[in-house]
Amino acid sequence: MDFLITEEEKAFKKEVEDFVQEVFREVLPPDWLGVDPGPEEEEREDVYPLAAEVWRRLGARGWIGLNWPKEYGGQDSLAKDWILKEELIYWGIPGMDPAVVQGDLILAFGTEEQKQRFIPPIARGEVKYAIGMSEPDVGSDMFALQLKAEEKEDCYVFNGQKIWNTGIHHADWCVVYARTDPNAPKKSHGISVFIIDPKSPGITLRQITQMTGLGAFCEVFYDDVRVPKENLLGEKNKGKDVSMHAFAIERTYGLVILHNARRYFDQLVQYCKEAYVNGQPLSRDPVIRNRLADMAIEIEVGRNMGERINWMTSQDMLTVIPSCQNKIHGARVAQDLSNLGMQILGLYGQLDETSKWAQLGGRMRHMYLSARAWSLAGGTSEMSRNIIAGKYGLGLPS
Amino acid sequence: MDLAFSEEQEMLSKSARDFLANRCPKTLVREMEEDEKGYSPGLWQEMAELGWLGLPFPEKYEGGGFSFLDLVVLLEEVGRACLPGPFLSTVVLGGLPILEWGTEEQKQHFLPKMCKGEAILTLALTEPSARYDASCIQTTATPEGDEYLISGTKLFVPDAHIADWIICVTRTVKTDNPEEGITLFLVDAKSPGISTVLLSTIAGDKQCELTMEGVRVPSGNILGQPGQGWEMVQRIMQWAAVGKSAEMVGGNQQVMEMTIDYAKERIQFGRPIGSFQVIQHYLADMSIDVDSARVTLYKAAWKLSEGLPCANEVSVAKGWISEAYRRVVTQAHQIHGAIGFTKDHDLELYFRRAKAGEVFFGDADYHREVVAQQLGL
Repeated sequence: MDFLITEEEKAFKKEVEDFVQEVFREVLPPDWLGVDPGPEEEEREDVYPLAAEVWRRLGARGWIGLNWPKEYGGQDSLAKDWILKEELIYWGIPGMDPAVVQGDLILAFGTEEQKQRFIPPIARGEVKYAIGMSEPDVGSDMFALQLKAEEKEDCYVFNGQKIWNTGIHHADWCVVYARTDPNAPKKSHGISVFIIDPKSPGITLRQITQMTGLGAFCEVFYDDVRVPKENLLGEKNKGKDVSMHAFAIERTYGLVILHNARRYFDQLVQYCKEAYVNGQPLSRDPVIRNRLADMAIEIEVGRNMGERINWMTSQDMLTVIPSCQNKIHGARVAQDLSNLGMQILGLYGQLDETSKWAQLGGRMRHMYLSARAWSLAGGTSEMSRNIIAGKYGLGLPS
Repeated sequence: MDLAFSEEQEMLSKSARDFLANRCPKTLVREMEEDEKGYSPGLWQEMAELGWLGLPFPEKYEGGGFSFLDLVVLLEEVGRACLPGPFLSTVVLGGLPILEWGTEEQKQHFLPKMCKGEAILTLALTEPSARYDASCIQTTATPEGDEYLISGTKLFVPDAHIADWIICVTRTVKTDNPEEGITLFLVDAKSPGISTVLLSTIAGDKQCELTMEGVRVPSGNILGQPGQGWEMVQRIMQWAAVGKSAEMVGGNQQVMEMTIDYAKERIQFGRPIGSFQVIQHYLADMSIDVDSARVTLYKAAWKLSEGLPCANEVSVAKGWISEAYRRVVTQAHQIHGAIGFTKDHDLELYFRRAKAGEVFFGDADYHREVVAQQLGL
């Protein structure tokens, strides 16, 4: 047993650190405090162009999809992929795109033609992807989805509605789950997955404002939308397999959340070293020390869990259970941390970045609001617990 | 990175589990809680023959030549079985310091006997202040000719009543800096002036009040550099914290398995209680504590075993595991209901040991303060 990283990985980490410096120097504004990874904060007018530029530079370096096979532009290295993600997420650099995750799905389930068609533009940093799963009546019970995809001679015709499709208004493609067999004996059996152009005729988008004030959520209406047959991903009516794989990938989000939380945490620690209360820095207060250290431990433990997941993945072991565990843990850490941050900031915690009185750029307030989503997005913590308890995990009876 | 057990570790773990399942049933565990000595000399000899007592010591001292990490693998099984007796005291608190800082003569004198099961060792660190900081070391060692006279009271000394030799942490010089002037001695437990009183502890393990009144110790029995003892204590605390964490991780795993089995078997409202979502979610949360504790243990143990800087990792591990184990065993009681509250059920053995393990060599608050210092707070 060892926790060593290889010389090659060390060298790559150095390259990534240099890249981070470059982005701070050439792309980001001075005094950059970071944003959360993903499309939500890229919704901000001042952030979107930065994200696009970082995405372009990542593509130019060949760093998108580092975990992909070499023939599709990757380096077949999950370790490198995580070294990159860890740094980008920690520094709050925008441009971490869900396209990579959807690329993973296309590589796992796509035909050779689909891989050749869809993967290279992702690797070059040219296209953005979104996901279409939830519907107004379909949340955790995702196999009850109703968006209808009817097979015609030359295409599938879509009718129905999706909701909470984050970032689809900026996306070039959306991976959409639809019902292709309404008469299947089990509701999980009649589902198929498609790669859809969100600009297709018949698609109407409506942005929904999240409680953070950002508008990355979209409601999507499908009205006789024609989708070419070659855009079916995986076998018809076997969409459940694709979705299970997608869930497994999404739950590595635990580690994403934790690396993101580390930035907020370090900023909070710095604040406590500098803020004086009763003539001494907050960091001298035994209660503050104890609670900050508690968070440090929670974060470190989550990183250890994440290291184990990545190692298991590299050994082709099934990671669905540890991924669910880490997602629950990561969400809890992010929520507890933002709560601690808000308590430490007290009245100042209320202010957003527009106030000259705001502390930490109003970021803790943002995190306090946005962290509510971590235990919901990508499968609620309760669904994760169901999976852990079930046949692939603890084997408890149903 | 390779997070799997090596083949040897796999074998060690499995053979230890089988051996202890057979030779250390819960009847023995309970009997030893009531027993004055608190361990079975017969079982102790068998453990020596299996090479457990010498596991992380070089072969030239009759040891097995394994690593500290391997010892951690074994300690997990020790914790799973609630093995009573002075294993951690002898090997971790006594043996490792002698190997690390002993003179060749001291190593030759102590280690082979220890490996063969002929010498029980322990460490006398804490005093009535019951804390782990340097200022609490009040026991004095005063030079007199070729000897030192040790006087003071040590409290919560594990297994002192059966120890042959005790590593005693003393103050030889008093300065303004409490971390200076601390010296460790190898004390013959049968020396005149030593007396032990057994404490009645929550886990039924054997901890003592150790009183020393003018105990004469030859200066040749100083371990390491005189006056430099506090640094040594820091390292011993890391071994001890990780060693105890390993036992706790083993116990944690056992509690988890017992509780899953119970949830599958126990029928209420016409169905196994494990089919209820509330119980499933309790168990899912427990599994997070169990699995995260194990990988966090290994990270600290590996670094410590490799001699890498690991103050943060050790405190993260002991801090996390102390509370994770308590959460798991507490929830296990909730799931077991009244049967788990009885003296006949095994669960109570783990519940009591979880608390004892929590306070041993720094509870979570202690280790959070270490982490706070590492953060530069």
